[in-house]
Amino acid sequence: MKTEDVIIINNNEIASEIWEMEFLAPKISSNYKGAGQFIQIQLDPGWGNPLRRPMSIASCRDSKISIIYKIFGQGTKILSQKISGDVLNVLGPLGNSFQYKKNNLNILVGGGVGLAPIINLWKELDELRDNSYLIIGAKTKNEHIHSHNPDEHIYLTTDDGSMGLPGTVMEALKVVYENVKSSEVFACGPEPMLKQIQSFVIKNNIPAQLSVESYMGCGVGICQGCIISRRNYKNKNHSYHKKYSLVCVDGPIYSAGDVIFD
Amino acid sequence: MDLFIQQEMLSLIDMSIKIGKVLFKNPIITASGTFGYGTEVSSLVNVSKFGGIVTKSITLNPREGNPPPRIVETPSGMLNSIGLANIGVDQYISKKIPLYSTIGTNIIMNIAGTTVNEYIEIIKKVESVSSNIVGYEINISCPNVKRGGMEFGIDCDLTEKLTESLRKITERLLIVKLSPNVTNIASIAQSAEKAGADAVSAINTVVGMSIDIHKQKSKVYTKLSGLSGPAIRPIGIASVHKIFQAIDIPIIGIGGITCGNDVLEYILAGASAVQVGTSNYRDPGIALSMIEEIKLYGEKYIISSISDIVGVVSSNTK
Repeated sequence: MKTEDVIIINNNEIASEIWEMEFLAPKISSNYKGAGQFIQIQLDPGWGNPLRRPMSIASCRDSKISIIYKIFGQGTKILSQKISGDVLNVLGPLGNSFQYKKNNLNILVGGGVGLAPIINLWKELDELRDNSYLIIGAKTKNEHIHSHNPDEHIYLTTDDGSMGLPGTVMEALKVVYENVKSSEVFACGPEPMLKQIQSFVIKNNIPAQLSVESYMGCGVGICQGCIISRRNYKNKNHSYHKKYSLVCVDGPIYSAGDVIFD
Repeated sequence: MDLFIQQEMLSLIDMSIKIGKVLFKNPIITASGTFGYGTEVSSLVNVSKFGGIVTKSITLNPREGNPPPRIVETPSGMLNSIGLANIGVDQYISKKIPLYSTIGTNIIMNIAGTTVNEYIEIIKKVESVSSNIVGYEINISCPNVKRGGMEFGIDCDLTEKLTESLRKITERLLIVKLSPNVTNIASIAQSAEKAGADAVSAINTVVGMSIDIHKQKSKVYTKLSGLSGPAIRPIGIASVHKIFQAIDIPIIGIGGITCGNDVLEYILAGASAVQVGTSNYRDPGIALSMIEEIKLYGEKYIISSISDIVGVVSSNTK
């Protein structure tokens, strides 16, 4: 991990209230390990917002890193006002990454703000697309950046039925799983979505990796703010001995059976 | 040539300070709970340049800490309620103390207990092993635990009794960390001084609360939590000012320090050293830039030793 002053190349709204920012970050990208890792962005040099904002990496290549974010608070609003040429101080790359097996059938599920690591993994699986399925959920079609295309293994859902399959990602996951069976699920999204996916994969005995979100202070294990409850107390390598896990250093990717959403 | 030599000399402000018998290479120390056990970010920051590191609070038994959510950002600050999560003194001795042999800076162990005996037992355990820990900071001011913690820090007699008991069992540096959540912080400082403390540190977090109006619940699990960051800096400086007028032992100023200028405010108010806390979350190496900023100030105002300006503002009213 390094701190680096990165130069913004692009910062555009790519769907309704969903933005993509790309910046030049040679130091951070040279330490990048894979989809699922995140960075901590300092919003501005002033101290109005003292804490950095954790953002999952949406792509990393040629010394460039991109993030995808949804505007829902003051911090993301500030980010959306940055323009090409602006400099941001960034700490990263942080956390662990998704671990996939080449011969598995991979089902990738992303919803709401949990788009970035899933899209990143989808890009990473480029050569394994025949074995992979992408499911993305949104409230309405304006929030989607892909096209619904089952022939290409891309399934979109909308709560209002305006695009793709009506309903949540769970409807699409059930459909896809019925067809492919033996597989591994990779998911990121709001907690209620992850909770539903967790109970689905546990019930059907499917291996799954979830990228979890947490309110974060430092991102490097010193503040102990970003805990999640653990189901599995056996992993001795954890930062905590028993009940909790630090999302910033043990996560953000966990096996579905390892965590409890409170 | 003469001018050149003069400038060279001016830039050599003596940054070292002494607390009790311990020499610190500079007055900038990391605050308890904001720098882990001191070893987590060694790949990112050269910690040997720090004046010192105060560890997170160590308790007699391991503590998981409070349920989530534990932190939330607030205007120019943050609330936390970690609940003294730590590995406990036995594991601290076996796993962390050995890592300090090459750390290159002063390690101060922060300790917390629920009874006088717990504090005693922790120090006795550490005193019984070989270590390069230079001293103990006694946490009598944590607002986020149900028992102990702040109970001591709001009571002069309890502060005195606890400090006295600990003074008897260690010759290492003894620093009592004070709470701002009291009527008269200077009187608590006097009790610590009377009982033999080498220094006091002030302030711990200010009790605060923040509510999510949509969920209609507290943003932090324990409801009440501790406010830190630049939002509390004026409270910290005022506290140091008051304490400076009441006691003669050194004060370590804490609260919202973000840069060299903030350090200087504390020093001018009466602090011999400072601790940097919340700012470490944003940049674990932030203390290093403060050291450079203070050197520049020393050059500008021709100060030969940082100790020379301790309490300059507060002694005017002493």
